[in-house]
Amino acid sequence: MRNGLSLNLLFGVLMAGAAAGLLAGLYSGLLLLGLSLPQPLDIGGAVHGPLMINGFLAALISLERAAALELRWTYAAPIGFVLSTIFLISGNLFWFGMFLMTGSLLLVIILAYLLKLHPSTYHFIMLMGVLALLAGNFGFVRGWPVSELAGWWIAFPVLTIFGERLELNRIMRPPEKAQWLFTGLVIVWLVSLSLLPVDRDAFWVISSGILILLSLWLLKYDIARRTIRTSEWPRFSALGMLTAYVWIIIAALFGMWYGLPYAGPVYDAILHIFFVGFVFSMIFAHAAIIIPALTGLTVTYSVYFYLPYLLLNGFLALRIIGDLMWIPELRAIGAYGNVLAILLFLGGILFQVVRSAGFPQKMR
Amino acid sequence: MMSGAEEIRRTVVARLRDIIDPEIGINIVDLGLIYAIRVEDGDLEVQYATTTPGCPLRRFIEQQIKVAVQQLPGITRSEVLFVTSPSWQVEMVAGHVSLFRSQAR
Repeated sequence: MRNGLSLNLLFGVLMAGAAAGLLAGLYSGLLLLGLSLPQPLDIGGAVHGPLMINGFLAALISLERAAALELRWTYAAPIGFVLSTIFLISGNLFWFGMFLMTGSLLLVIILAYLLKLHPSTYHFIMLMGVLALLAGNFGFVRGWPVSELAGWWIAFPVLTIFGERLELNRIMRPPEKAQWLFTGLVIVWLVSLSLLPVDRDAFWVISSGILILLSLWLLKYDIARRTIRTSEWPRFSALGMLTAYVWIIIAALFGMWYGLPYAGPVYDAILHIFFVGFVFSMIFAHAAIIIPALTGLTVTYSVYFYLPYLLLNGFLALRIIGDLMWIPELRAIGAYGNVLAILLFLGGILFQVVRSAGFPQKMR
Repeated sequence: MMSGAEEIRRTVVARLRDIIDPEIGINIVDLGLIYAIRVEDGDLEVQYATTTPGCPLRRFIEQQIKVAVQQLPGITRSEVLFVTSPSWQVEMVAGHVSLFRSQAR
């Protein structure tokens, strides 16, 4: 049980590790755009994807699971991801690979344990998500190009979030048939992703079509449709979630039109619609849950949070236009704007948490 | 006339209604997350659940309940217990929660 001071300290260190993974990931993204820095500060742009997926997302999600279960062994998963970040940045690829695979495997075990503890379709979908991460990371460690394993890395946050939404949306009482339809579509989506090496264009088009159906399902049954009519955090969260579903539909429409190229502006646009439009909209939307879950501290709502929300979406739109019209300057402005939006959001969260901690008050 | 235990129980329920699920905006009592409140000889026990065993808010909810049951007149010892059985079901949401009523089938 997480009672001891040492475990609290470990928890804090792991949170800082995930935050460092995010900052390093954003920084390496700017290096990819041509940011020029002295050698000691140059960690290389190639680490951008793995840092954002593993150093930040996987570390954060595994820490969330550990916080929920409060079992000592579950902390080994975020430890693995945080250590892999350190070794990736320092250029020690052997130990990076070892800790990355350890963290990924442990996250699979955590979700399998949750499925055993509480057999349900949503835990099954989340398990599929972490298996996708394991597959993607295995490919990355083996040296496969990122473009070959992008589908698995996309599937990790998408299925984790879809599973969480399915769990919460039981409150909307979707019909049992609809729940089975959702699970069936998830399985077909994963099968189509696994067949990408057979015919990349055809199966990406199929998987994109299925993603549209999944997103429409969520738009129909997500509680966000109701909570958008409330106020403060529930309303903000709902807006973020509905925005995330719209972005995933846009990504899927692009996928149906263009397929998934191996590189280039369309590839860049599709990946960032998923990882910025969908994932970060969802992270913004879940901030009022993630922060209390991880820190035990309340984030007092402020209308300020709409500013980074608007910047995130506005600059992402600019980035996509820059990609599609091949205007590198516009793409760069969009990317810098996205980094700014994320930092402004994190800064706002930090400010509110410190303020809440200093002046205890009710949650709302 | 209410007994002392019943009065304490009602006070606890009132305090727990101040703990709001940050995403849904509904308090944890109406969400059906409070399974039992036992008062006996100065001892208080609150049993709670989360919507799923893997819910990241579990720790936060427990902390909020612990704060809510502090300094209750007539209570010398309080305990907050997380229970996983029976698992939470959507039917446990209070009937008067209007946000979802029209979706009920």
